[in-house]
Amino acid sequence: MNEWDTYRLLDFVPFTREVYFRLLERVGESFWPLQFVGLIFAGASIWLALRGRARIALLLLAPWWVVVGVIFFLQRYATLNWAGEYIGWVFIAEGVALSVLALFGAAPAVNSTSPIWHKASNLSGIVIAVFGFIGLPATALLQGYSRFQAEVFGLHADPTAMVTLGVVLIAVRRAYRWIAAAIPLIWLLLSALTQSVLGIGSSLAIYSVIAAGLLGVAWRD
Amino acid sequence: MDDCIARRAFLRLIGTGAVSAWAFPGMLPSVARAQTRELQSKPIPSSGESLPMIGMGTWRTFNVGDDPKLLDARTRVVKAFFSRGGGLIDSSPMYGSAPETIGYALRELGAPKSLFSAEKVWSPAGGNAREQFASLAEQWGIKKFDLVQVHNLQDWREHLPLLREMRNEELIRYIGITTSHGRRHAEFEQVMASESLDFVQLTYNITHRDVESRLLPLARERGIAVIANRPYDGGSLIKGLKRREVVPEWAAQEFACRTWADFLLKFIVSHPALNCAIPATTQVAHMNENMQAGSGPMPDGRARQRMVGFVESL
Repeated sequence: MNEWDTYRLLDFVPFTREVYFRLLERVGESFWPLQFVGLIFAGASIWLALRGRARIALLLLAPWWVVVGVIFFLQRYATLNWAGEYIGWVFIAEGVALSVLALFGAAPAVNSTSPIWHKASNLSGIVIAVFGFIGLPATALLQGYSRFQAEVFGLHADPTAMVTLGVVLIAVRRAYRWIAAAIPLIWLLLSALTQSVLGIGSSLAIYSVIAAGLLGVAWRD
Repeated sequence: MDDCIARRAFLRLIGTGAVSAWAFPGMLPSVARAQTRELQSKPIPSSGESLPMIGMGTWRTFNVGDDPKLLDARTRVVKAFFSRGGGLIDSSPMYGSAPETIGYALRELGAPKSLFSAEKVWSPAGGNAREQFASLAEQWGIKKFDLVQVHNLQDWREHLPLLREMRNEELIRYIGITTSHGRRHAEFEQVMASESLDFVQLTYNITHRDVESRLLPLARERGIAVIANRPYDGGSLIKGLKRREVVPEWAAQEFACRTWADFLLKFIVSHPALNCAIPATTQVAHMNENMQAGSGPMPDGRARQRMVGFVESL
């Protein structure tokens, strides 16, 4: 028997579904009501991206990647999974990359003379950003989870990656999109795989976001 | 004389039962169980020391970080384990915060005499065996480990000599090696044949019996105790059986098999080469089920064959 045949995805997820939900809840509990500040930043970033203010839109997102890297991954996730420490530093690196892109690299990709939804990448960006901003926490609340269990931008990894991916698709030129979108896409894939293993239904929504994100990044407008 | 004492003890037991049944009717079954259904043990070949046949694994289930709610919940599981006569708790530096969770439970409950602490050396955790030992002992809150194993054979040439040194210094009582999921059996066999080991840990359950052909006979020949991991195949085996089938009547009649936990665990520990199975759980009810499997009659060779045939027919 080939040794690799014996490995299953489950072998790489060292905690249970119960622990995963408690992790989300404890982050929400510990930093309440910081959720609202994160949501204001996310909403403002999406709005500015739609108005063609790419630099400031990215700058509003950047610090939250550092926040999530530290409070979600380095302080908590890393106690459950040795990989959490590395992922935490990757999140911090994405925060730095977004800042650098905002200050030195990016130029607005939105053409104010044509309606924004005429570009497929913009359209997929809007859908992803709005889903990460409001759809994900709203779905959790509607499913009966508490306000602490609802994942929100700026505290939890998935909505932070989704809002960023969406804003990047709306506001960043194609040449830079791959750079800015790579880490959010990779994280979303890891998260979707983890949730699939744990039997969490929202993994399907994340796979859809990844597909829409890849389409948006690769699309030649 | 002995017969006379035994008869008196028997009559006392009957008498106690009759009075209890009259005074506390709800308590009789548990009293009777406690007196007649003790967790069975098997001797460790290298020392003759008795080891309870049902132990406790901690992979995934005890990795709860510093969450106070879950730490307390796992403490209740450990309490149920010890209250049913449990001994061996197995963990690894690879299991995230599991060693710290055990340490928390032991601080809360106190470490009972029956505790048989089993840890592992895992190369990716960094440091040599001695350094990992020190760190794990601190996490468990104990000074010595009963057993330290080389996890998944990783760097066993480097770790085993150091573990032997530590055994000579009486920091460790037993040493061993582990594998799981049927991995690296050829090399495992070679190490079993060439090195002086007290324990091996490997995957053995009713659907994964590869080890019956070579590793288990070798363990008997070399006087090595065997711990079976993944007795429920990561949970999928018992969940599948619970969903689809009821425990066969013949199993209940032949060896007092009441649950699927009974069926699967009794199959494992009734193998003559096996010393202990280490199911992992997050729930007290499941722990109680697991521990019950280590008591009462066990299947003989013919019954074991029938059990295999039954599972294969599903």
